[in-house]
Amino acid sequence: MIKIDAVTKKYGTITALEHIDLSIGKGEIFGLLGPNGAGKTTLIKILTALSRPDSGTCAIDGIDVAAEPDRIKPYIGVAPQENNLDRELTAYENLLIYAMLHRCTDRETRIAETLKRVDLWDRKDSIVAGFSGGMQRRLLLARSLLTEPAILFLDEPSLGLDPQIRRQLWDIIRKTRIDGRTVVITTHYIEEAEALCNRVGILAKGRLIALDAPDNLKMNVGRFVVERINEDGKLIQRICPTRDAAHDMARGENNGVTVRKTNLEDVFIQLTGERLE
Amino acid sequence: MTTFGWYPVFLKEMLLFRRKLLRIGYLFSAMVAPFIYLIAFGFGLGRNVSINGTDYLSFLIPGLVAMSSMNNSYTWVCNSLNMSRLYFKTFQIFVQAPIKPASIMMGEVLAGMVKGLFASSLIIMVGFLSVDAFTLSPLFVAALLLNCFLFANLGVIIGMRTKSHEDTATYSNFFIMPMAFFGGTFFPVDRLPLIIKSAVYVLPLTHTSILIRKTVFDGEAMLSLALLILCATAFFIYGSKLIRQYSE
Repeated sequence: MIKIDAVTKKYGTITALEHIDLSIGKGEIFGLLGPNGAGKTTLIKILTALSRPDSGTCAIDGIDVAAEPDRIKPYIGVAPQENNLDRELTAYENLLIYAMLHRCTDRETRIAETLKRVDLWDRKDSIVAGFSGGMQRRLLLARSLLTEPAILFLDEPSLGLDPQIRRQLWDIIRKTRIDGRTVVITTHYIEEAEALCNRVGILAKGRLIALDAPDNLKMNVGRFVVERINEDGKLIQRICPTRDAAHDMARGENNGVTVRKTNLEDVFIQLTGERLE
Repeated sequence: MTTFGWYPVFLKEMLLFRRKLLRIGYLFSAMVAPFIYLIAFGFGLGRNVSINGTDYLSFLIPGLVAMSSMNNSYTWVCNSLNMSRLYFKTFQIFVQAPIKPASIMMGEVLAGMVKGLFASSLIIMVGFLSVDAFTLSPLFVAALLLNCFLFANLGVIIGMRTKSHEDTATYSNFFIMPMAFFGGTFFPVDRLPLIIKSAVYVLPLTHTSILIRKTVFDGEAMLSLALLILCATAFFIYGSKLIRQYSE
C-alpha cells in the first residue's frame, strides 16, 4: 500500500532523511520510532504531500505522492504533531471546514459521531483556544478520522497527554485498525509503539536503522536485561539472551540488581549507543 | 476535485472575520488611518483647496476608498496567510485537502475582498454624508472591486513568499505605503515631475485612483481598466503557482 523508495530530504546542510526504503502493508499499524530530530515528522510530511523529497519516491497504491498529490489526498487523514487547529473557531466549525474541504457527505451526522467518539460532543460550540492540550489532541484525532480515510497518519498523537487519556486514544487507534485502515504512527514513547504497532521502523539521524515486529527486534538483541546502579549513580545495563542467563548474571552482582524483559528502548540503545529522548 | 473548493477556504476566513468584528479594536484599526487622512487633509488642509474645479473633499474621498480597499484587502490576507503558514500551521489543512491550488487562492482572495470592501464601505458612508455630489458610478464600483481583488492577490503572494511575520512589514513599507501616498490618493498624479510620474504610472493604485474618479468611460479609463485586469490576472496566476509549489 505504501512504498518508500530511496527517499532523501535535506534542509540546508542538515540531512533529515537519508536513503529511506520502506514498505507498509494494508491494514498495518506501523510505528516510526526515534528520538526528536530523527526524521519521523519529515517522513510523514512527505507521505502526506506537505513536503517534497530531494530524491527518491513515495507511492501510495502505486501513485507517486510528489507527482500526483491530488490523487492521494482523498484517501489520507493526518493528525500532525504541531497543533494546526483553528484556535479561534469552535470544535464544530473546525470539523465543518475540514469536512467541506474533503467533500464529506452527511456532514452533520458524521461530525456528531466523530465528536462523540472522542468525548467532545458537549464542547462542540466551545472555542478551541479554551481547550486543554489533551482536548485539542483529541480534536486533532477526530478531524483526521472524520473522512474515514484509508490511511491514517498520526504524528506523535499522545504527546503531552496524561496516561488515562493516552490509553483512551490507544483504544480509538486500535478500533481504527479493526475497521481495516492502515495507520502510520510516529512516537518516541516506547510503551506506545509496543502497545499499538505490529511493525516498527527505528529512525536515528535520518536513517532507518531497524525494521521488524517489536518482538523480533527485541529477540534479536536479547530477551532480558540485567540492571544495576553503580557507585557513581550510573545505570549499568547488560542484555542476556534468556531468563536463565540473566538470573545467572544477576547472582554474580551485588545488591540492587533487577532483571526485566527487553523493551524497544533497549533495542535503540543497542543499535545507536544513545537513549530515546 | 470540487468546483466550489474555494468555498470552505472563504467560509473559514469569514467565520474568523465575524469573530474579529465583534472586537471593537478591529473596527478601529481598520478605520483609523483613512479617517486621520480624511480629517487632516479633507476637513483640515483641504478646506480651501479645489482640484480641477471641484472641492478637495470630493477629490479625496474616492482616493481614500481606493487606498483603504488596497490596505485592507492586502494586509488582512497577507498577515492571515503568513501567520497560518508559519505560526499556526492551519494552512496545512488546505494543502492536504483534495482541492486545487487555484481554489485555495480564490477563497483567500474573496475573503480579502470582503475585508477590503467592508473598510471601504465606511469611507463611502462618510462620502455620502459629507459630499453633496457623491455617487457610486458603475466605474467607481468596478474600480473598487478590481482594486480589492488585485491587492488581495498581492496579499496572497507576499503572504506565501515571506519567511517571517516581520518580512511582511518590509514589503508594506516598500510597496504599499509609497503607493498610498503617490498613487493619486491625495493629489492628481499629473502634477508630479515627469520622471516621478512615469514611475507612479506603473503602480496599480494609480490606475484605480484614475478609474474610480471617472464619470465617463474614455480612453484613459479603458487603459487603466485593462492594466488593472492584466495585473490582477498575473497576480492570481502567480499566487496559484506559489500555492501549488508549497513545500515545508
